[in-house]
Order: sequence, then C-alpha cells, then structure tokens
Amino acid sequence: MSERILLVIAGLLAAAVLGLALFWQPELPERPLPAAAALSGGDFTLQAANGPFSLHDLRGKVVLLYFGYTYCPDICPTSLAATAEGLKQLTPAELAKVAMVFISVDPERDTPARLKEYAEFFHSAMLGVTGTPENLAEIARRYGVFYARQPVATAGGDYVVDHSADTYVVDAAGKLVGKIAHATPPDQVVLAIRKYLNQP
Amino acid sequence: MKKLSLLTACLMFSAGVLAAAADQISVDKPYVRLLPPGVQTTGAFMVIRNAGDKDVKLVKADNPASRVTELHTHLNEGGIMKMRPVAAIEIKAKGEALLQPGGLHIMLIDLKVPLKEGDVVPITLGFDDGSSKKLDAKVLRAAPEAAMSHHHH
Repeated sequence: MSERILLVIAGLLAAAVLGLALFWQPELPERPLPAAAALSGGDFTLQAANGPFSLHDLRGKVVLLYFGYTYCPDICPTSLAATAEGLKQLTPAELAKVAMVFISVDPERDTPARLKEYAEFFHSAMLGVTGTPENLAEIARRYGVFYARQPVATAGGDYVVDHSADTYVVDAAGKLVGKIAHATPPDQVVLAIRKYLNQP
Repeated sequence: MKKLSLLTACLMFSAGVLAAAADQISVDKPYVRLLPPGVQTTGAFMVIRNAGDKDVKLVKADNPASRVTELHTHLNEGGIMKMRPVAAIEIKAKGEALLQPGGLHIMLIDLKVPLKEGDVVPITLGFDDGSSKKLDAKVLRAAPEAAMSHHHH
C-alpha cells in the first residue's frame, strides 16, 4: 500500500516538475517567441464595422494584436486598458506608426458594430474586428492563440471564453515578432512598443 | 460545563469588543472600472489593509448596483488566463491584500443600470467573523495613479 502511495507521489512530483518546465515563465514584460515553436503569423482578412479589414492594410506600422471578446469580464479589459495607457504615453509621431487590433473570437455575440464601440472606448486608434469561426480558428492557429468556449452558468451570460491573453506584436513588414504578456504595466508596454518601433 | 460555557461566552464577548475584524481593516484607493457601453460586468479594485494582529478573511462583498457580487481571481494556466470565483481573500495580520486588474478583485456581475464615470458605488465587505465594512468606490476609467504603481515600488 505504502509503495503505491510512494508511486503516486513520485508521479505527482514528476508531473509537477514537467508542468513547471513546460509552463513556468518568469514575469517578463515581453517574451521572445521560442524558435522551436516558430509561429507563422501572416496576413488575414476579417470584418470591421466599416467593411473588410486586412492586416496588410497596416503595412508600415507596428501592429499589436489582441484576441478576446467583449463579454470578457476582466481579462480583456485589463489587457486592453494597459495597452491603451501605453499607447497614450507615445509621442504623436510614434503613435502614427503604431496600430492596435482587437480580434473577437466570439463572433456569435460580437458584431463588428459592437466591436467598434468597444475598441474605441479604450483608444481611438484601436480597431475591433471579427470573422467566421473557421476563419478565426485558422488565424489563431497561425498566431499560437488558444481559446475555448466554456459553459458557465453566471449571471448575464451562458458561456465564457477562456483564452490566451498575450498581445502579439507584428512588425512594419507584417511579420510576427513577439508578444507582450498579459497584465504588463503600461510603462513596460511603452518600452516593448518602442523596442519594435526603433528596430532598423 | 457551566464554567466552560461562561468562559467561552466571556472570551467571545471580549474578542467581539476588542477586535471585530472590520475595525482593524482600512481600505485605500477603492474604484470601480468604467467599462465600454453595452458591457454589464465590471470589477472593483482596492488595497485592503489589516492593522490587527490576526489574519482576516474577506468572505463576501455586496453592492446595490449589480445583481451579483463575487470575489474573483485570475489564474494563468500555461498562458491561458482564466477568471474564477474564490471563496475568500486573506488579509494577513499587519499586512494588505491588493485587489487589482489581473489579480484578485471583486466582480460586479450583471449591472442593473450602466455605470457612468464618476458614479459612486457603495460596497460592503464581509469578513469571516461576521463583521462588515462599508466603502464608497468611484467609477473611474483607469486606476488611480497610486494604486497602479503600488506593487512595483
């Protein structure tokens, strides 16, 4: 019996170590993408309130991409507010070379019109877009975004969407170059943006 | 037996008089986050300080503006952020609990009327010994400066 318990404990410890190795990430403001899991990123076309939007429309700018949904109770507002505060700290000349796109992975509830209102609340330079579930899933795969609908019987909704909450950084040439971790304070968001702005 | 219950009663009485948890608690920089139009759930944030010698647990919160009030936290599971309810928020003796975006917070779920910037939401904090504390939280677009910078100083 005690042998079995020992085995279970050993198993749990091994799982904990493995889990730590896989998932532990120090709280850095910006994490480089691991080379082994290079994500292709790339162009895509989604729907904004005023019609189709393509990532290549923003060629020449550093683009911040965030995947979330407007019914998100606290995670999206936290990320978006921090990014918006970061954008506000840029000089007008810097801001002219930066764009922010909020991509809703909940097209069932988030219409382009609702997304426009939502994104602009945080910053006038923020664009809200969404698309078909298939299109979104394909883009998410290329950018390494995870999201999953969870049935949760909360007041005011039948489901929540768990999702990865990093902000993806695309350089002026349209290439996915990095990400800014969730809940990075605004002053460090500014540093991260400037790092990509000032790249040769 | 009688003596014991008398002693217990005395202890309870003195504990109640000397140290109701709420009397040891002070709240700094409370605010409710203004959310975009059409959104019906928001968070309340604050710094809760405990001047007492005993740990105190915040076990519930109430407010008249939303239909449901819950204590929540954010869990980062392998990069996936999950927001989940918690049963209690501990405020250590002579310590503080930081309720801030991205961590522990109070959720105001299903607002009865949309909140406007500058509105004041009365919030009642309930502690594990049954005592409670009322505070007024202003609806703000962004965190008050001191609360934002608090944790990295």
